[in-house]
Amino acid sequence: MIETEKIIEAILIGDDDKVKVLTLEEINKGERAGEIMREGLIAGMTKVGEQMEAEEMFIPEVLMSARAMSAGVEVLKPHLKTEDAAVRGKVVIGTVEGDLHDIGKNLVKMLIEGAGFEVIDLGTNVEKDRFIKAVQENNADILGMSALLTTTMPSMQVIIEALKKAGIRDQVKIIVGGAPVTEEYAQEIGADAYGPDAGSAVRVINSIL
Amino acid sequence: MAYIRSNQQSFNSPHAAKMSEGQCQRLYWACLEILERTGVCLYNQEAIDLLDKAGASVTDGNRVRIPAGMVEKAFSTVPKNVALYNRNGQRKIQAGGHRSYFGTGSDCLNIIDHRTGERRLAVLQDIVDGMKVCDALDNIDFVMCMFLPSDVPQDILDRYEMEAMLNHTIKPIFYVTTEFAGCKAAVEMAEIVAGGADALRHYPFAACYINVTTGLRHNEEALQKLLFLSEKGLPFTYIPSAQGGVTAPITIAGTMAVNNAGVLAGLVISQLKREGTPFIMPGWGGNMLDMKTTVQPYADPEKRSQAIDFSHFLGLPTFSLGGCSESKMVDQQAAAEAALTLFTDALFGGNLVHDVGYLESGMSGSLPQLVICDEVISWIEAFMHEVVITDETLALDLIDEVGPDGQYLDNPHTMKHFRDRWYPNLFERSNYDSWQKKGGKDLGTRATDVVEKIVNEHEPERLPDDIAKAVHEVVLKEL
Repeated sequence: MIETEKIIEAILIGDDDKVKVLTLEEINKGERAGEIMREGLIAGMTKVGEQMEAEEMFIPEVLMSARAMSAGVEVLKPHLKTEDAAVRGKVVIGTVEGDLHDIGKNLVKMLIEGAGFEVIDLGTNVEKDRFIKAVQENNADILGMSALLTTTMPSMQVIIEALKKAGIRDQVKIIVGGAPVTEEYAQEIGADAYGPDAGSAVRVINSIL
Repeated sequence: MAYIRSNQQSFNSPHAAKMSEGQCQRLYWACLEILERTGVCLYNQEAIDLLDKAGASVTDGNRVRIPAGMVEKAFSTVPKNVALYNRNGQRKIQAGGHRSYFGTGSDCLNIIDHRTGERRLAVLQDIVDGMKVCDALDNIDFVMCMFLPSDVPQDILDRYEMEAMLNHTIKPIFYVTTEFAGCKAAVEMAEIVAGGADALRHYPFAACYINVTTGLRHNEEALQKLLFLSEKGLPFTYIPSAQGGVTAPITIAGTMAVNNAGVLAGLVISQLKREGTPFIMPGWGGNMLDMKTTVQPYADPEKRSQAIDFSHFLGLPTFSLGGCSESKMVDQQAAAEAALTLFTDALFGGNLVHDVGYLESGMSGSLPQLVICDEVISWIEAFMHEVVITDETLALDLIDEVGPDGQYLDNPHTMKHFRDRWYPNLFERSNYDSWQKKGGKDLGTRATDVVEKIVNEHEPERLPDDIAKAVHEVVLKEL
């Protein structure tokens, strides 16, 4: 029996040393790495996401939790079989062209990394073609786009149209966010999902995968 | 490396003043002149005899003119601070200087019922609910009974108020009684709870709010209470209620001169009765009659702060006034007036800021309004913090290490210090979507939810059964 409660608790308080020790103990007991990952580490981060969305956790605490999760993943990596890959999916993320705001985007990046995704961060002021190239080259599961300005927001639609033209729109799920972006706008431009804040990013991504 | 910085100066808080030392001095002289020249009318023989014996002039039976020297002498024995304890004997309040504490008011005739939003006559259960809420709120430091219970025998309603306060909160109490007998009963109850008269004197957790007719006319009950409590060495406020344009000149200076002449008269009597008696003066000055509505406004901007300046000049603790409103309901005006009055009293350093949660100029009270005030006080407390400028807080090494392109979100320095910053409990900061998800509630609705939760869930520490029974016997004694 995996002592999931203990691992989840250690992730919630952001204690990376404790997560490492607990994870190792489970391995030594002969538990399967994939199960420790799912029932311990990922379950812990899911709880972190819930608490963050409920405004019960502060961002620095969430990031400590994410760090603790990563420490656990490092311990598990050598023991993971191919079918329970260490990475849950690849996410290409960036702030659209003309927009230099990256606080929200960086937060989302740290949180989804903490939840076990591989993130390819294209940074800010990312041109349309760089998004498309990154999606193609990395065979990304998710494309996340951010805009803080009403003037740069329309780029999101342009990029979605370009993905369609390139014939790869259906290979990737698209999530958008940023202060002026709304659920309605996300639907209007043909994105798959919208996250109102960083705390919801992991939950939203999980829901569309 | 030695760390030497000479001539360092820092502020520990914001600071403000409305009256200069010179203005305070002039006001003080004005009070002394009134006491010597005009005198006060006292409706209590013992008080008159005390003053007469000490050198005051008594004419027409009860007109007493007090020489300045007697006032000066009283200042040499009155304490500059009044300590208050909680019901369990823990020291909670050190009123004096610029330290501010917050509490409710007493005896509102009506309550805006948080369940229905209706204004109705208050009942005893409202006091019980109110005390629970006060007991649970972090920023309420002392209590007054809040409401007048309409459903108990009216001649002894003050006993029921005292009992409800003793039973439902451990916080320090300011009690108000109509007659002198009620004051004695309140002290008797407090002595039972404290474990005797000596225990109550050494660890006072209840103080009397004494209201006096006007600055120059001191009613019998007020003087009886003052003499009784002075003899016992128990703390009280002495608050003449001179009203500008009616019982004093309409000007702020004139009203303050009359009112504070009355304060000083009370001070002299208290120290003549027993040197060292703790004495608390009013922290507002220049009450007016609103000449349009005949209401005495509580949130009047012009009666604020100067009395606090004056109390600092005199070196007396104040019973101050904030968190109150003229509004008839928990609305935008109520929030604005409550916030402004709490803010100014805290900024100037009023000590015992009472009437938090008052509406309708004291005619009604509201528990959600009290919860909103609690949040405002929390905000003000954060505002009043000093700015800490040190190597640790400047973090220059960290700034250089992170560089212009880096970020601080997951830095240990952030982890160490992010809790230093203030976060609201009740004020809403969420983005629109999250706020909507939580029900999209306005401030009043959220405050009502908090009241409902406290009233249903909070269990104040109970009095031991035998003590509660003995207290109840005092209540019923005159039935």
